[in-house]
Amino acid sequence: MLNKIDKSSALFAAGAVVFFWIGGLLTTLAPPLLDESWAKPAPGLKDYATLAKGGDVHAQMVLKGRAIYVREGCWYCHTQQTRTIEADTIRSGWRDVRSPVSTPDEFVYDQPHMFGTRRVGPDLSRVGGKYDRQWHVAHFRDPRSLVPGSVMPPFPWIANDPAELDAIVAYMQSLGRAKDWRPGHDYEE
Amino acid sequence: MSTESPGVARHEDKSAFGFLIVASVFFLISGLVALIIAAKLHLPTLLGEVSWLTYGRMRPLHTNGMLFGWLLAADMGLCFYLVPRLCGVRLWSEKLGLATLGLWTFIILGAVVTLSMGINQGLEYAELPLWLDVLVTVAWVLFAVNIFATVAVRRYQQMYVSLWYILASILWTAFVYIVGNFATHFTSGVNQANLNWFYVHNAVGLIFTPLGLGIGYYFIPKAAETPLYSHRLSMIGFWSLAFVYVWTGAHHMLHGPISQWLQTVAILFSVMLMIPVWSLVWNFFATMKGQWHQLKDNVPIKFLMTGTIFYLLTCFQGPMHSLRTVNAIVSKTDWIVGHAHMAVLGAFSFFAIGGAYYALPRMLGTRLHSQSLANASFWLWLVGGLSFFVSLWIGGFLQGLQWNDATIPFIDTVKFMAPFWGVRLMGGLLMFTGILLFFWNVLITYMGRAERPEPAV
Repeated sequence: MLNKIDKSSALFAAGAVVFFWIGGLLTTLAPPLLDESWAKPAPGLKDYATLAKGGDVHAQMVLKGRAIYVREGCWYCHTQQTRTIEADTIRSGWRDVRSPVSTPDEFVYDQPHMFGTRRVGPDLSRVGGKYDRQWHVAHFRDPRSLVPGSVMPPFPWIANDPAELDAIVAYMQSLGRAKDWRPGHDYEE
Repeated sequence: MSTESPGVARHEDKSAFGFLIVASVFFLISGLVALIIAAKLHLPTLLGEVSWLTYGRMRPLHTNGMLFGWLLAADMGLCFYLVPRLCGVRLWSEKLGLATLGLWTFIILGAVVTLSMGINQGLEYAELPLWLDVLVTVAWVLFAVNIFATVAVRRYQQMYVSLWYILASILWTAFVYIVGNFATHFTSGVNQANLNWFYVHNAVGLIFTPLGLGIGYYFIPKAAETPLYSHRLSMIGFWSLAFVYVWTGAHHMLHGPISQWLQTVAILFSVMLMIPVWSLVWNFFATMKGQWHQLKDNVPIKFLMTGTIFYLLTCFQGPMHSLRTVNAIVSKTDWIVGHAHMAVLGAFSFFAIGGAYYALPRMLGTRLHSQSLANASFWLWLVGGLSFFVSLWIGGFLQGLQWNDATIPFIDTVKFMAPFWGVRLMGGLLMFTGILLFFWNVLITYMGRAERPEPAV
């Protein structure tokens, strides 16, 4: 059999593709069919795209901010996932309250997904409401004025454009709010 | 391996040469971008007032430039060199090959412009806009037609293992690319992330790995002038790779918001990856038995065997990272950056460079301008590469431990990385010098090809 395959390019190609597609289909098509939580939105999750189409100005700002986040490659240095690791839940937490871990139902409307792979800067999955607007404005203008030692670049072309600045701040404040887990108020909605 | 019979028509190698030259130019440019973004970790305001020169815009330029501008183009050039030779016929169409090269160059230049403008789809390695994705697909089909048509009219019936890897890679790449760049448009959230990691993982595992291994299988016996150790072992390696590799994408989301059972499947198959890797490395090492003295003077063999060792190491790390306990420390740190660079730069770029040093002069009917410059480039890449990898492993591992102690403020773990990033930048400077030497050597070899004629063997 093996000897036949390395003499016939057609047999060979068929074999290679079949081998590939066994794992290919079982790991791409099967999982969303088997695990419904991938497509079922969390109760508190906002569908900003639908809200924006309906004329919701805040939702439009959040989406515009998200587009800036994608455009500037923020996601190369910031993850958006509180993993099933104890320290992650503490670091994503709020004062002494631990953050719940991220679950698929919180990200159903994310397109493109922003889970990220590298943490040059901190994870942002629960950053919404942790800092006030003034903090974010100053931070985008000059990160080191608030966080000495930070390696984040300044973003003057965003900081000097009121529409873009409002949008990116609105997006920051929207992150991690699908689950209601924080006692008391936060800086802003 | 199959021999080249004397009656075969002479190879023109225009497409092969063109792809290698274009690849070298993008190697140089992407290397420069790499140095800038590495320096930005020390000087975050460097070039910081200009949007298209910021870290977030230049990083995808670096990754796409290295993966598609340099490595894939170099691999395609080497395929155009070795496939006709293994088939005992000329390349099916040099014209089509050159047209593919023109399209490929246009795509990479288009990528430079769009990525600098901040046109970014937000998915790793799939950043390019849809119209460029379509052009990439067209270019890949043109490449596939040329290679398959050459194989179809081959004079040697038995296909040498390099041909398997190359043919399979062409087929797998088509599917992998479509999933990563088109299917992702119709999904969102975790479903999309799963497809994205399927693509990212298999871009390395089923595009660069089989192309690189096909190149290694051809050039190691050629450059060392010794037969391959075992055909049977190469079969085990190939078919186990074909079956095992594709299952492992979800190991990029370990501990993340993705089904536990899928994480476990990815871990199991990641560990099984040792079967194809070790059988291949055994085969390459056994081929060199009695030939190791060639490491002293044979520059292509230096690159190819060092690449093999990097391949073994990177593919030992991979399964280890996928174990949950290890992953909890190294995931999201610079350890992974060191690992990824050892795969793409240490293993597969070393294969491509070794192949290029061997093939380029033969394409031109001449000798390499300078063996000692080539040798110097090897040591620059080896020392530069090792200092890059090792500093990021140590720094990344320690940073991962610090992250797991939540009493340490995050910013302290960032400041902690500065010396390791410094060593990485120095390693990058050495490797960039290696690229310059490589580029210069190729250029002078081309210019002086008439003065140093070498009869075709």
